[in-house]
Amino acid sequence: MALQLDSAMVKTGAVKGIRITLELAKIVVPTTILVALLRGSGVLESMSVACAPLMKLFGLSGDAAIVLISGYFVNLYAATASILALGLAPREIAVLAIMLGFAHSLLVEVVVSRRAGSPVSVILPLRVGVSLLSGMIFGRLM
Amino acid sequence: MSVLWEGLVQGLLGVWTLARVVIPLMIVLEIAAANRILERVNRWTVPLFRLVGLSEAGAFPVVVATFFGLTFGSGVIISYIEEGRVSPREVRILGVFMALSHALVEDTALFLAVGAPIAVLLIPRLTAAFVCCWGLHRFLIWKNAGTVNADAVNS
Repeated sequence: MALQLDSAMVKTGAVKGIRITLELAKIVVPTTILVALLRGSGVLESMSVACAPLMKLFGLSGDAAIVLISGYFVNLYAATASILALGLAPREIAVLAIMLGFAHSLLVEVVVSRRAGSPVSVILPLRVGVSLLSGMIFGRLM
Repeated sequence: MSVLWEGLVQGLLGVWTLARVVIPLMIVLEIAAANRILERVNRWTVPLFRLVGLSEAGAFPVVVATFFGLTFGSGVIISYIEEGRVSPREVRILGVFMALSHALVEDTALFLAVGAPIAVLLIPRLTAAFVCCWGLHRFLIWKNAGTVNADAVNS
Protein backbone atom coordinates (compact mmCIF):
# COMPACT_ATOMS: atom_id res chain seq x y z
CA MET A 1 0.00 0.00 0.00
CA ALA A 2 3.10 2.22 -0.01
CA LEU A 3 2.71 5.10 -2.40
CA GLN A 4 4.87 4.90 -5.49
CA LEU A 5 6.41 8.27 -6.18
CA ASP A 6 9.09 9.26 -8.65
CA SER A 7 10.21 12.36 -10.48
CA ALA A 8 8.84 11.07 -13.80
CA MET A 9 5.28 11.24 -12.44
CA VAL A 10 5.81 14.75 -11.11
CA LYS A 11 7.30 15.80 -14.44
CA THR A 12 4.47 14.30 -16.54
CA GLY A 13 1.90 15.94 -14.26
CA ALA A 14 3.65 19.30 -14.34
CA VAL A 15 3.94 19.26 -18.13
CA LYS A 16 0.22 18.46 -18.42
CA GLY A 17 -0.57 21.21 -15.94
CA ILE A 18 1.47 23.79 -17.85
CA ARG A 19 -0.15 22.74 -21.14
CA ILE A 20 -3.61 23.12 -19.59
CA THR A 21 -2.63 26.49 -18.10
CA LEU A 22 -1.70 27.74 -21.58
CA GLU A 23 -5.07 26.52 -22.88
CA LEU A 24 -6.73 28.31 -19.96
CA ALA A 25 -4.92 31.54 -20.75
CA LYS A 26 -6.65 31.50 -24.15
CA ILE A 27 -10.02 31.50 -22.37
CA VAL A 28 -9.30 33.52 -19.23
CA VAL A 29 -7.51 36.51 -20.78
CA PRO A 30 -10.15 37.16 -23.50
CA THR A 31 -12.89 36.74 -20.86
CA THR A 32 -11.48 39.34 -18.48
CA ILE A 33 -10.78 41.72 -21.40
CA LEU A 34 -14.36 41.25 -22.63
CA VAL A 35 -15.77 41.90 -19.17
CA ALA A 36 -13.59 45.02 -18.82
CA LEU A 37 -14.77 46.26 -22.25
CA LEU A 38 -18.41 45.56 -21.41
CA ARG A 39 -18.03 47.46 -18.20
CA GLY A 40 -16.11 50.38 -19.76
CA SER A 41 -18.69 50.79 -22.53
CA GLY A 42 -21.65 50.70 -20.16
CA VAL A 43 -23.04 47.53 -21.80
CA LEU A 44 -22.47 45.54 -18.61
CA GLU A 45 -24.64 47.96 -16.69
CA SER A 46 -27.57 47.66 -19.12
CA MET A 47 -27.17 43.87 -19.23
CA SER A 48 -27.09 43.84 -15.48
CA VAL A 49 -30.29 45.90 -15.23
CA ALA A 50 -32.01 43.64 -17.79
CA CYS A 51 -31.00 40.45 -15.98
CA ALA A 52 -31.63 41.77 -12.47
CA PRO A 53 -35.24 40.49 -12.11
CA LEU A 54 -34.20 36.98 -13.17
CA MET A 55 -31.07 36.94 -11.02
CA LYS A 56 -33.13 38.10 -8.06
CA LEU A 57 -34.66 34.60 -8.00
CA PHE A 58 -31.23 33.38 -6.91
CA GLY A 59 -30.55 36.30 -4.61
CA LEU A 60 -27.86 37.53 -7.01
CA SER A 61 -27.09 40.91 -8.54
CA GLY A 62 -27.67 41.46 -12.26
CA ASP A 63 -23.89 41.44 -12.83
CA ALA A 64 -23.73 37.78 -11.85
CA ALA A 65 -25.66 36.84 -15.02
CA ILE A 66 -22.44 37.07 -16.99
CA VAL A 67 -20.81 34.54 -14.65
CA LEU A 68 -23.66 32.06 -15.16
CA ILE A 69 -23.65 32.56 -18.93
CA SER A 70 -19.89 32.10 -19.25
CA GLY A 71 -20.00 29.03 -16.98
CA TYR A 72 -22.95 27.34 -18.69
CA PHE A 73 -21.77 27.95 -22.25
CA VAL A 74 -17.97 28.12 -21.96
CA ASN A 75 -16.54 26.55 -18.80
CA LEU A 76 -15.70 27.11 -15.17
CA TYR A 77 -12.45 28.85 -16.04
CA ALA A 78 -14.35 31.51 -17.95
CA ALA A 79 -16.82 31.72 -15.06
CA THR A 80 -14.12 32.13 -12.40
CA ALA A 81 -12.37 34.69 -14.62
CA SER A 82 -15.63 36.69 -14.75
CA ILE A 83 -15.97 36.40 -10.96
CA LEU A 84 -12.49 37.87 -10.57
CA ALA A 85 -13.17 40.62 -13.12
CA LEU A 86 -16.49 41.62 -11.50
CA GLY A 87 -15.26 41.53 -7.91
CA LEU A 88 -18.41 39.89 -6.53
CA ALA A 89 -19.28 39.54 -2.83
CA PRO A 90 -18.35 36.22 -1.11
CA ARG A 91 -22.04 35.34 -0.64
CA GLU A 92 -22.67 35.70 -4.38
CA ILE A 93 -19.56 33.68 -5.21
CA ALA A 94 -20.82 30.86 -2.97
CA VAL A 95 -24.27 30.77 -4.62
CA LEU A 96 -22.71 30.88 -8.09
CA ALA A 97 -20.30 28.08 -7.13
CA ILE A 98 -23.23 25.85 -6.14
CA MET A 99 -25.24 26.63 -9.28
CA LEU A 100 -22.28 26.24 -11.62
CA GLY A 101 -21.13 23.03 -9.93
CA PHE A 102 -24.26 21.34 -11.24
CA ALA A 103 -24.20 22.83 -14.72
CA HIS A 104 -21.15 24.05 -16.63
CA SER A 105 -19.32 23.51 -19.94
CA LEU A 106 -22.65 22.15 -21.13
CA LEU A 107 -21.81 22.15 -24.83
CA VAL A 108 -18.85 19.84 -24.24
CA GLU A 109 -19.98 17.76 -21.27
CA VAL A 110 -23.41 16.86 -22.58
CA VAL A 111 -21.68 15.28 -25.57
CA VAL A 112 -19.44 13.25 -23.24
CA SER A 113 -22.52 12.12 -21.29
CA ARG A 114 -24.29 11.12 -24.51
CA ARG A 115 -21.29 9.04 -25.60
CA ALA A 116 -21.34 7.43 -22.15
CA GLY A 117 -24.92 6.31 -22.76
CA SER A 118 -27.07 9.10 -21.28
CA PRO A 119 -29.30 10.99 -23.73
CA VAL A 120 -29.04 14.78 -23.98
CA SER A 121 -32.80 15.00 -23.40
CA VAL A 122 -32.29 13.62 -19.88
CA ILE A 123 -28.95 15.11 -18.86
CA LEU A 124 -29.42 18.70 -20.04
CA PRO A 125 -32.76 19.37 -18.26
CA LEU A 126 -31.46 17.51 -15.18
CA ARG A 127 -28.32 19.60 -14.86
CA VAL A 128 -29.88 22.95 -15.70
CA GLY A 129 -32.93 22.15 -13.55
CA VAL A 130 -30.90 21.17 -10.48
CA SER A 131 -28.64 24.20 -11.02
CA LEU A 132 -31.57 26.68 -11.11
CA LEU A 133 -33.34 24.96 -8.24
CA SER A 134 -30.21 24.97 -6.06
CA GLY A 135 -29.81 28.68 -6.87
CA MET A 136 -33.33 29.41 -5.67
CA ILE A 137 -32.80 27.40 -2.47
CA PHE A 138 -29.31 28.59 -1.54
CA GLY A 139 -29.88 32.13 -2.82
CA ARG A 140 -32.55 32.43 -0.18
CA LEU A 141 -30.77 30.49 2.58
CA MET A 142 -27.41 32.19 2.36
CA MET B 1 -7.09 51.86 -23.79
CA SER B 2 -6.90 51.80 -20.01
CA VAL B 3 -9.94 49.49 -20.05
CA LEU B 4 -8.17 46.97 -22.32
CA TRP B 5 -5.08 47.20 -20.16
CA GLU B 6 -7.08 46.61 -17.01
CA GLY B 7 -8.73 43.56 -18.61
CA LEU B 8 -5.39 42.16 -19.72
CA VAL B 9 -3.76 42.58 -16.30
CA GLN B 10 -6.77 40.99 -14.62
CA GLY B 11 -6.66 38.14 -17.12
CA LEU B 12 -2.98 37.44 -16.49
CA LEU B 13 -3.52 37.56 -12.73
CA GLY B 14 -6.43 35.17 -13.27
CA VAL B 15 -4.24 32.78 -15.25
CA TRP B 16 -1.70 32.85 -12.41
CA THR B 17 -4.44 32.17 -9.83
CA LEU B 18 -5.66 29.19 -11.84
CA ALA B 19 -2.16 27.91 -12.69
CA ARG B 20 -1.47 27.58 -8.96
CA VAL B 21 -4.44 25.22 -8.83
CA VAL B 22 -4.07 23.33 -12.09
CA ILE B 23 -0.37 22.47 -12.07
CA PRO B 24 -0.26 20.91 -8.57
CA LEU B 25 -3.58 19.21 -9.34
CA MET B 26 -2.25 17.52 -12.46
CA ILE B 27 0.82 16.33 -10.53
CA VAL B 28 -1.42 14.84 -7.82
CA LEU B 29 -3.68 13.17 -10.39
CA GLU B 30 -0.68 11.73 -12.21
CA ILE B 31 0.62 10.19 -8.95
CA ALA B 32 -2.89 8.91 -8.18
CA ALA B 33 -3.20 7.26 -11.57
CA ALA B 34 0.25 5.65 -11.34
CA ASN B 35 -0.67 4.19 -7.96
CA ARG B 36 -4.04 2.88 -9.19
CA ILE B 37 -5.74 4.93 -6.48
CA LEU B 38 -9.00 4.97 -8.43
CA GLU B 39 -9.24 1.17 -8.37
CA ARG B 40 -8.75 1.26 -4.59
CA VAL B 41 -11.37 3.96 -4.06
CA ASN B 42 -13.69 1.93 -6.31
CA ARG B 43 -13.29 -1.09 -4.02
CA TRP B 44 -13.70 0.91 -0.77
CA THR B 45 -16.88 2.60 -1.95
CA VAL B 46 -18.72 -0.58 -3.02
CA PRO B 47 -21.21 -0.52 -0.07
CA LEU B 48 -22.00 3.15 -0.67
CA PHE B 49 -22.78 2.79 -4.37
CA ARG B 50 -24.74 -0.41 -3.79
CA LEU B 51 -27.37 1.79 -2.08
CA VAL B 52 -28.09 3.47 -5.41
CA GLY B 53 -27.98 0.26 -7.45
CA LEU B 54 -24.42 0.41 -8.75
CA SER B 55 -22.11 -2.59 -8.65
CA GLU B 56 -18.33 -2.24 -8.41
CA ALA B 57 -18.10 -2.19 -12.22
CA GLY B 58 -20.95 0.30 -12.47
CA ALA B 59 -19.36 2.64 -9.95
CA PHE B 60 -15.95 2.70 -11.65
CA PRO B 61 -16.86 5.34 -14.26
CA VAL B 62 -18.32 7.45 -11.43
CA VAL B 63 -15.05 7.23 -9.49
CA VAL B 64 -13.08 8.20 -12.61
CA ALA B 65 -15.43 11.14 -13.25
CA THR B 66 -15.22 12.24 -9.62
CA PHE B 67 -11.45 12.59 -9.72
CA PHE B 68 -10.69 13.37 -13.37
CA GLY B 69 -13.87 15.08 -14.56
CA LEU B 70 -15.90 14.45 -17.68
CA THR B 71 -13.38 16.01 -20.05
CA PHE B 72 -10.08 14.48 -18.88
CA GLY B 73 -11.84 11.28 -17.84
CA SER B 74 -13.95 10.96 -20.99
CA GLY B 75 -11.61 8.52 -22.77
CA VAL B 76 -11.58 6.04 -19.88
CA ILE B 77 -15.29 6.45 -19.09
CA ILE B 78 -16.56 6.06 -22.65
CA SER B 79 -14.37 3.09 -23.52
CA TYR B 80 -15.26 1.35 -20.23
CA ILE B 81 -18.96 1.65 -21.05
CA GLU B 82 -18.54 0.77 -24.72
CA GLU B 83 -16.77 -2.43 -23.71
CA GLY B 84 -20.10 -3.48 -22.23
CA ARG B 85 -18.82 -3.99 -18.68
CA VAL B 86 -21.80 -2.20 -17.22
CA SER B 87 -25.48 -3.17 -17.66
CA PRO B 88 -27.83 -0.72 -19.46
CA ARG B 89 -29.69 -0.20 -16.19
CA GLU B 90 -26.51 0.84 -14.41
CA VAL B 91 -25.48 3.06 -17.33
CA ARG B 92 -28.62 5.14 -16.70
CA ILE B 93 -27.89 5.47 -13.00
CA LEU B 94 -24.19 6.24 -13.33
CA GLY B 95 -24.96 8.75 -16.11
CA VAL B 96 -27.12 10.77 -13.72
CA PHE B 97 -24.52 10.57 -10.96
CA MET B 98 -21.66 11.66 -13.21
CA ALA B 99 -23.66 14.52 -14.72
CA LEU B 100 -24.34 16.12 -11.33
CA SER B 101 -21.11 15.31 -9.56
CA HIS B 102 -17.75 15.12 -11.29
CA ALA B 103 -14.31 16.76 -11.29
CA LEU B 104 -14.72 17.32 -7.57
CA VAL B 105 -11.01 18.00 -7.14
CA GLU B 106 -10.62 20.43 -10.03
CA ASP B 107 -13.92 22.32 -9.73
CA THR B 108 -13.58 22.59 -5.97
CA ALA B 109 -9.99 23.83 -6.14
CA LEU B 110 -10.99 26.35 -8.79
CA PHE B 111 -13.80 27.90 -6.74
CA LEU B 112 -11.69 27.76 -3.58
CA ALA B 113 -9.14 29.86 -5.47
CA VAL B 114 -11.75 32.60 -6.00
CA GLY B 115 -13.02 32.43 -2.43
CA ALA B 116 -15.97 30.03 -2.17
CA PRO B 117 -16.14 27.84 0.97
CA ILE B 118 -15.36 24.14 0.46
CA ALA B 119 -18.59 22.85 2.06
CA VAL B 120 -20.85 24.54 -0.50
CA LEU B 121 -18.80 23.01 -3.28
CA LEU B 122 -18.85 19.36 -2.25
CA ILE B 123 -21.95 18.72 -0.14
CA PRO B 124 -24.68 19.92 -2.55
CA ARG B 125 -23.23 18.06 -5.54
CA LEU B 126 -22.71 14.74 -3.75
CA THR B 127 -26.07 14.97 -1.98
CA ALA B 128 -28.00 15.79 -5.17
CA ALA B 129 -26.22 13.02 -7.09
CA PHE B 130 -26.98 10.40 -4.43
CA VAL B 131 -30.61 11.52 -4.00
CA CYS B 132 -31.33 11.58 -7.76
CA CYS B 133 -29.66 8.20 -8.31
CA TRP B 134 -31.46 6.66 -5.37
CA GLY B 135 -34.76 7.94 -6.82
CA LEU B 136 -33.94 6.54 -10.25
CA HIS B 137 -32.84 3.22 -8.72
CA ARG B 138 -36.13 2.88 -6.79
CA PHE B 139 -38.10 3.96 -9.87
CA LEU B 140 -36.42 1.30 -12.02
CA ILE B 141 -37.14 -1.37 -9.39
CA TRP B 142 -40.78 -0.26 -9.20
CA LYS B 143 -41.10 -0.19 -12.99
CA ASN B 144 -39.69 -3.69 -13.28
CA ALA B 145 -41.64 -5.12 -10.36
CA GLY B 146 -43.38 -8.30 -11.44
CA THR B 147 -41.48 -8.62 -14.70
CA VAL B 148 -38.60 -11.05 -15.03
CA ASN B 149 -35.49 -8.96 -15.33
CA ALA B 150 -32.04 -10.43 -14.95
CA ASP B 151 -30.70 -6.93 -14.65
CA ALA B 152 -32.59 -6.17 -11.46
CA VAL B 153 -30.80 -9.03 -9.75
CA ASN B 154 -27.67 -7.01 -10.29
CA SER B 155 -24.39 -8.94 -10.44
